[in-house]
Parts: sequence; structure tokens; C-alpha cells
Amino acid sequence: MATEAPAPRRPRPTETAGKQSRPPLPPAAARRARRRAGAPWLLLAPALLAVAGLLLWPLTRVLWMSVQDYGLPEIVSGDTNYVGLDNYTEILGDAYLWQTVLPNTLGFAFACVALTVVLGTLVALLLQRLGPLWRTITGSAIMMAWAMPAVTGTYVWIWLFDPLSGAVVGGLDSLGVVDAGDTNWFTSRLGFYAIATLNVVHHSFPFVAITVFAGLLTIPKELHEAAIVDGANAWQRFWSITVPTIKPIFMVVIILSTIWDFKVFVQLYLMPGGSGANRDVLNLGVWSYVESFAQRQYGMGSAIAVLLTLLLLGVTVVYIRTLFKESEEL
Amino acid sequence: MKKRVIAVSVVLSFAAVACGSGGGSDGGDRALTVWIMEGTNPDSKPFFSEVSKAFKKETGAELKVQYVPWPDAHDKFTKAMAGGTTPDVAEVGSTWTAEFAEAGALADIGDRVGEAGLDKDLVEGLETAGTYDEKLYGMPWYAGVRSLVYRKDLFEKHDLKAPTTWKELQDVAGELGEKEPDMIPFPVVGDNEYILDAFVWGAGGELATEKDGDWKAAINSPKSIKGVEFYTELATEHKTSTKAATTWNEADLVDNITNGKVAMAVSGSWTPATIVADAPELKGKLASAPIPGPDGGMSPSFLGGSHLGLFNESENQDLGWELIKLLSTGSFAEKWGEQSGYFPGQTSLVEKVEKEGDALTAPFAKQMIEGGATVPVTPAYGEIQGKKTLAQMLQSILSGKKSVKQAADDAAKDMDKTFGN
Repeated sequence: MATEAPAPRRPRPTETAGKQSRPPLPPAAARRARRRAGAPWLLLAPALLAVAGLLLWPLTRVLWMSVQDYGLPEIVSGDTNYVGLDNYTEILGDAYLWQTVLPNTLGFAFACVALTVVLGTLVALLLQRLGPLWRTITGSAIMMAWAMPAVTGTYVWIWLFDPLSGAVVGGLDSLGVVDAGDTNWFTSRLGFYAIATLNVVHHSFPFVAITVFAGLLTIPKELHEAAIVDGANAWQRFWSITVPTIKPIFMVVIILSTIWDFKVFVQLYLMPGGSGANRDVLNLGVWSYVESFAQRQYGMGSAIAVLLTLLLLGVTVVYIRTLFKESEEL
Repeated sequence: MKKRVIAVSVVLSFAAVACGSGGGSDGGDRALTVWIMEGTNPDSKPFFSEVSKAFKKETGAELKVQYVPWPDAHDKFTKAMAGGTTPDVAEVGSTWTAEFAEAGALADIGDRVGEAGLDKDLVEGLETAGTYDEKLYGMPWYAGVRSLVYRKDLFEKHDLKAPTTWKELQDVAGELGEKEPDMIPFPVVGDNEYILDAFVWGAGGELATEKDGDWKAAINSPKSIKGVEFYTELATEHKTSTKAATTWNEADLVDNITNGKVAMAVSGSWTPATIVADAPELKGKLASAPIPGPDGGMSPSFLGGSHLGLFNESENQDLGWELIKLLSTGSFAEKWGEQSGYFPGQTSLVEKVEKEGDALTAPFAKQMIEGGATVPVTPAYGEIQGKKTLAQMLQSILSGKKSVKQAADDAAKDMDKTFGN
């Protein structure tokens, strides 16, 4: 009887002609629907298998290694050496993590993201105002900074700031600001990270500039014209028109920059003292590398890598949630 | 038609490969895989084609030599051990031997060395480095040693002599600083532990000491601290160095000697040849002397080099040992030393260099025989080196962040943690 109850509300057959029928399906149709529901998964299977093989399996291995005391003898013998959460308690209980590594990672990443996005946006606004010739010239110039491999770029910055014969110390020495034989910026935490920040921002602002510039092109001219008629100045127009219109682009650029700048490795590792000789300047990525590959404590290194991943996941989740909230409001 | 030709050639090549591998497995025990580090000898290929010929003549077996670049080598060994694809014989960096032995990858060759009557002639520092748990796992092949390298032309110009005590070292460096103000008299290199080690050992100190198989840090013992103090005070008190050197590694030091900026330094026996090749104007202007002890004599200096190791997984261990003997003794050992700028692993051969070598190489040979030493032979010390504990100590003293005592105490604490105390 219960199945009869909604009957009056069912649309008449004539109304649904040509559309999918909603009433309980006959067995054959249900099978067909199930098959149809399974079909996408079947088609996705090769890709999913590849992802599982290339990403999920290594990820599980790292998780598994992070709860072991895993060194060279374990690699050779293939034995497991389960120690539970010992690696994690040791890392989290280490004052070095809280006083040095984490502040380095966070401070450096936020400084880089902020500077990259601000500089990138300014360059994008500049590109928008330039004529075709200068736009091409500026675009090509910033592309070169982008195209420079990280290793090459890092060595150029190291040479520029070389404490003995670098161009910067040479220039400041001739001005009488510093003494060339008596300066070494790489030994202090702040100096080291200031140089690294210059390097990373220089290398990553072109991406922001090009992406934001592409976004700027999508803003209808009429909006700005109407605002000018209303007497809004450039500052007001930027915050009331440009930013709200291309907010999703800013969000993407910020998320990607955050992820990249949290796990900067090459640019720090190659700098003088960055590969472990100066404990004051390690970030999570370099610390993980030094622990696993230089000290051959693969378990400890994996645990640090897992923590870095969790940290990044946290940051990303917050960003993505705000991003989706924004797009729902729009 | 074309397709058919391709198909036929594909089939033929498969058949050829099949034959090839079949032939290989028939004579499988007559081929030997060897890994040799790339870059020690500027061009090792002609050398090894000679070795292959001699080896084939002696044993009838083929030699398959693979060249491995130094920076990738440790990873490559690790992967090979994990995958069970280790070679039969390999050149192993002398500080890795204990680690690989502990991991169970290398075979004990002590008996073979004894039977061949070679055990009395091994260079001591290299033999110690190749011994783990009282068994010999690495056959000394070649080594280099660090000594004083100085600019002969400047010393003659200012009528200076190579220092023979620590006091003289300090005075000579001071005088050089006055008379050659544009040069660095004696750089104190921050990102390197081996130069520091010489001064620690010279003062009678130790990096770590062993008792019943347990290691304990000794870098903060009064004697060790005296050595650290002397070395770092050259920079912090006597200004014989430059702040830039705080973050230098040995490659930066060699660059600056090559650029003519350094008057005197502790540098490796393998460096003068490279320096002169890069800067021909320095030819004949470099000389060497052993690192002086505090009141004369010699400060022991680290012997860095390579062993030849026989791998446990190898099915051709007898054949492998024949190759090790061929490479590490007699004319091939001598020739390798001449070509690479390193010293052979046999005392008799190094003594020959000391007698016959020129003014630049003889003092290095003397240092190697009379004042060679090695860092603690335990895998844990490999971890400590990976963490750069001593370089950290040095940099924190040189940049004024810590006092010598405090830095040494911190380093000792760090080392003891790794030793498991």
C-alpha cells in the first residue's frame, strides 16, 4: 500500500514522455543504471591505478617508514624496525623544531608569498598600462627570470652577495658602508634569509604577474570607465573593481605560492652554510633531507616530511574553503 | 616490403640478444663487474683498459668497469644494496667502509690479505679506516693527506720559512698579513672538519674515544679544546683569516688559492696539480710542508682515500680478490698514484715517493707515513659527519655566536646523542 501512496503525485506518462522515468525501475533497467554508474569508474581505472602506483604507494611507504627506525642496515636486509611514534615524539619534543625550523619555514614562506604576490600584481598592472612594444619587452624580461633554473639562479645570487668579491659587497665597500674583509651575511639568520627571499621572489613573481595580467584582461572596460565617471581614483578602483572581480585568481596564485614557498629546498640548500653547517638556517624541507640522506636516518626524515605535508594540507584546506565560500557568494 | 625488413631485423636482433645473454651465462663466472669513482684520475679509461688486458691475461676473465661520479656514489651503493645489484668489486670511500660493513654488504678480506703477505705493508690510517669490529673490509688502495701549502715566491720575497711550531705558524701568518695586505695569510675554513681535526689531534686531543665498543665524544676534553682554540683564534684574535672563510668549504679554499688570494693554507695533496693546471702563473710558486705540532714535530692529518671492497653478494669472490691485488699492489698501484696525484695504500710505495718525489710532493708523503690519522671508525660517525656537527661548532665560534668551550660542549652533546649515550 505504501508504494501506492505517492501515486497521485506522479506525473502522468504523457508529461514525462521523452524524459527519464523516476518511479522504481524494472530489474533490467536497474542493472543498466548500475552498469552506467560503474562505467565512469571503469574508464577512470587506468588513471587511478597509475595515480595509486605513483603517488599513493610511495606515500604509504613514507608513512610506514616514519614509524620505524630505518637506516642502511634495514635497507640492505629489508627488515622492518617498528618503533611506533618515537620519531614523532622526538621531533615534536625538540626545541630546535619550535625555535628554529618552524619559525624559519613559516616566516620565510609568508614573506615570500606576500612579496611575490604584491610585486607580481604591480608588474601585472604595469603590463596592462604599457603599449604593445614595451609590453613585449617587459614580458620577455620577466619571462627570463622565470625561465632561469633554480640552481643557476641561486649561484648567481650567491656570487652577487659573495662576502669577499661579490658585486654587492664591492659596491657597499667603495661607498664606505661595509668593510669587504669583515662582512659575511650568510652567517646570520636574517641575512641568509633576506638573500634567499630575494632569490625566491625574483624567481617566482613572473608567474604571478602573467597570471594576474591574464585575469586583468577579463575585466570589462566599462566597469573602470563607470568608476572614473563616478570620480573614483586608481586606488579605489583597484580595491573596489579589480580585486573583487579577479579574486579567484588571487586565491589560486596565493595557494600555489604558499605550497611552493613552504617547501623551498634548492635555493636554501645550495647557499653557504645551508646544507647543515649552519643549524640556524634550516627549514623543514632541508632538515628532512639532512636527517634522511646526510645522516641516513630515513625514518626520522620521513616523519619530518609527513609533518611538512600535514602542515601544507592544513594551509591548503583553509584556503580552499575560503575559495569555495567566495564562489558560492558570487 | 620496408615493414618486412624491419620485422626481420627486429627478430634477428632479438635472436642476437638471446645468443649474447646465453653466451654470457655460460661464461658468467669469467666476468667481473667493478665500480670505480669518476674524477679521481682525470682520465681513468686508458688506465683501466690496460688493467683489463692484464687481468684477462692473468685470469682469462673479462672486466666490466662502470664509472660512478663521487656525489652520486653513496646513493647508488645504497640503492644497489637495497635491490641486491651490487657489483663484485668496488672502490669505496674510506669513510663509508665501516658503514657498508655494518650493513652486511662487504666481505671480510682479512684472511686473504694475510695469506698474500700484504698485511704488514698497509698504510696505517687507511687500514684503521677499513677495519670494523676487528675485521678488515677494505683493502687500502690510495689516499691523500692534507698538509701546509704555501706560496714559495712570497716566502722567499719576505725571507720567511715554513713554520715548524704553532707559535711560528701564528707569527708567519701575522707577518704575511702585514707584508701582503691584499692577501689572506691563513684562512680558517668554516665548512670543513678535516683541517680542524689536524689541530685537535696535534694538541693531543681526540674527536671521540672508544671503550668496549662504546663511543664517547671527546671534542670538549681540555686537550681537544686547546686545539680548537688555537685554530679558531687565528681568525678571531690574530686576523689571519677573513669573515668570508666562515662559510667556505674546501672547494672555495682551492678556488681562492688558485686566484692568488691565499698565502698559506692547509690543503690536500691532490690540490696543487689542479691549482697549477687552472692557474699556470703559479707554476713553481707552490711548496708544501707537514702541518707542525704545537712544539715541533707534526700534527696528525686525516687520510682521505679509497678502499677496494669485495661484496658479499658476489659469486666471483676469488676472481674479485685477484683484481683487488692487481690494482692495489705493484706497478698499477704506483701508476694510479702518479696519474691521480694520490698516494698508494702501501707504505713501501709511499716511502718511494718520499725519497724520489719533488719538493712539493715529498712533504705530503712524509705527512702520510708519519702523521696520518683517521676519524672514529664507526657508522655513527658517518651520521655525525652528515649532520656536520664539527662544521657547525666551527662556524658558531667563527661568527661569534658561541665561545669555544660552549660550542665544543654543544658539539659533544650532539655527538653523544648519535653515539647513543
